[in-house]
Amino acid sequence: MKRRDFVKKAAAITAGSMVLPYILPSGRLFARSNVPKADHVVFVMFGGGLRQQDSILQRYLADSQSYNVEGNILYNMLEGAAPAAKIAYGTTPAGQPNGSQPIPRILSQTLQKQGTIFAEIRAISGGHYGGWNSLITGSRVEGQGLKVRPANPTIFEYARRFGGFKATDVWFLGNTISNSIPLLNSSKHPDFGLQYGANFFAPGITFGGDGYAALSNAKIYHPQEELEPVYKMKNFLDNTFNIKKGDMPGIRNTDEEKTRIKEFIANTFQRQSAGLIPMPPVSGGDGYTIGYAAEVLRVFKPKLLVVNLSNIDGCHSNFTGYLQAMHKADHAMGFLWNYIQTQIPEMSGKTIMTFVPECGRNLKHNPIQDENDWYGYDHGDSNSLRVFGGMVGQNVPSNLMIGNEANPVGKVTDFALTIADILGFKDEVRAAGLIDAQAMSLFDRI
Amino acid sequence: MRIFNYTTSLLLLVVLATACKKKDTNTYQVVDTPSYGDNLNKDKAKSNIEFHSILSTNLFQKPSSINELSRTDRVIQSCGDKTLINEVIISNYMNSSNVRLPSRKMMTDSTERFVEETYIRFFIRRPTEAEKTWFINFINANKSNPNFRPELVYTAFAAADEFMFY
Repeated sequence: MKRRDFVKKAAAITAGSMVLPYILPSGRLFARSNVPKADHVVFVMFGGGLRQQDSILQRYLADSQSYNVEGNILYNMLEGAAPAAKIAYGTTPAGQPNGSQPIPRILSQTLQKQGTIFAEIRAISGGHYGGWNSLITGSRVEGQGLKVRPANPTIFEYARRFGGFKATDVWFLGNTISNSIPLLNSSKHPDFGLQYGANFFAPGITFGGDGYAALSNAKIYHPQEELEPVYKMKNFLDNTFNIKKGDMPGIRNTDEEKTRIKEFIANTFQRQSAGLIPMPPVSGGDGYTIGYAAEVLRVFKPKLLVVNLSNIDGCHSNFTGYLQAMHKADHAMGFLWNYIQTQIPEMSGKTIMTFVPECGRNLKHNPIQDENDWYGYDHGDSNSLRVFGGMVGQNVPSNLMIGNEANPVGKVTDFALTIADILGFKDEVRAAGLIDAQAMSLFDRI
Repeated sequence: MRIFNYTTSLLLLVVLATACKKKDTNTYQVVDTPSYGDNLNKDKAKSNIEFHSILSTNLFQKPSSINELSRTDRVIQSCGDKTLINEVIISNYMNSSNVRLPSRKMMTDSTERFVEETYIRFFIRRPTEAEKTWFINFINANKSNPNFRPELVYTAFAAADEFMFY
């Protein structure tokens, strides 16, 4: 052997022996950059736009409708006594005034007691899509158009690329297919994109009337006798066509994952008709979405699940409905956390749930009055950039409130980095250089 | 007499000038063949509605209503993996009693014809020799599997990437 060949081969073998031990079963090349804080993350985009004054500041009608009634209507999340008068935030029993029956509390201890609340966080955008983008990507949203996928990678793509997770490990549950929500499961960034995107369902459609008509009668094929030949033929056909990466119409699951999701869809329709979907006691709207999020968690035990709520946005024209939606969303979130802790042993004690709205609401009302003559509120002014959020679960300090009106701590762009921190790839996300330069993990802000 | 000779000569001249000529027939030996495209220029994705309009017409031999197509479009939008949800919708179609498929006998007895017709039906093109050979071999290899039927072949074609593009 010539000396040059010997040197080349020796160098290749040495490099290989250094790299190979680090190819992990997940397919990642290197171990995660930081020690994971929990095995699973559930991120609730608790929103549609919450006004700080009516939510965490617990001023109820005092700061919005000139009635001197204060109180806490988010009593699964926050400590504080409920309003004593003008009760309109609850459900409506037959023959009773609208919203006159508050929903009983689910959690024995509030999320505030169990975890850490950031009382005054700065949002990036006073609008919905910009707000969701900043939450999902951790980046500022300049240059981000509507009706297009995010310009920068989403936390789903970071999780799959840097965390080595498969498609069924990352889920996004949206409450609608409007407002470009289905586009948030992946960015259009050339280095990331749909190949690293999340599975997505909008349960109101997928498992509602439309989905029932289009999906519920699907045949369940035998995995070996029928599905295997189908996939062999399809894979042959796809290999001869060679679709370009940029032309992918959606994310891709492996054949095994697809079989699992198909079984999930079929079982969900069966469980739905048997009344077995785990719904919050008071369901409907956002509660419906949360129920299906719980079902996805029960079946797939994903590493990351993001769920979007937005009934609260009815505040544009119906302040009473806004109070009721906020109260119901708090109830739904209490249900979800309780369900994870009591009904999913694989996730109980190993999960962190984070929550924050995508934006706040205006300081001053608009001219639209509802049935109680209460004024509606839009969003877009500087008050819309005031939000609160928090986290609860494994390794999260309990009973901690950070920041206040005079001392804002945290930004909405912190949440993507916080999720990366929890799952163990914070440094890679930061090194990719595509998030807000000022973003920090919320753990680093404590 | 002289006039007669002139007339006869003129007639003779006209007859000679317009007499039968040898007909030149050009034969190019071209066989009439229907024209199909290939898969190289398919780079435009069908919309959800286009996709299912074509698919349901293929399977049921009649078009779907716009309400059905709009509903299907919403369902596809509500799922992140479009290929997966299309497969579920296809299998939903296959469960309908109105679906029209070739028989298993036709597939196994006239395999080459079946493969060619399936390519033309779904991809609007003939298979290459390699594609035809692969499918013929695959179908022959699965003859002993009683569950292997045209429905599965149609499902694979309907779910293939190429069927999503035009």
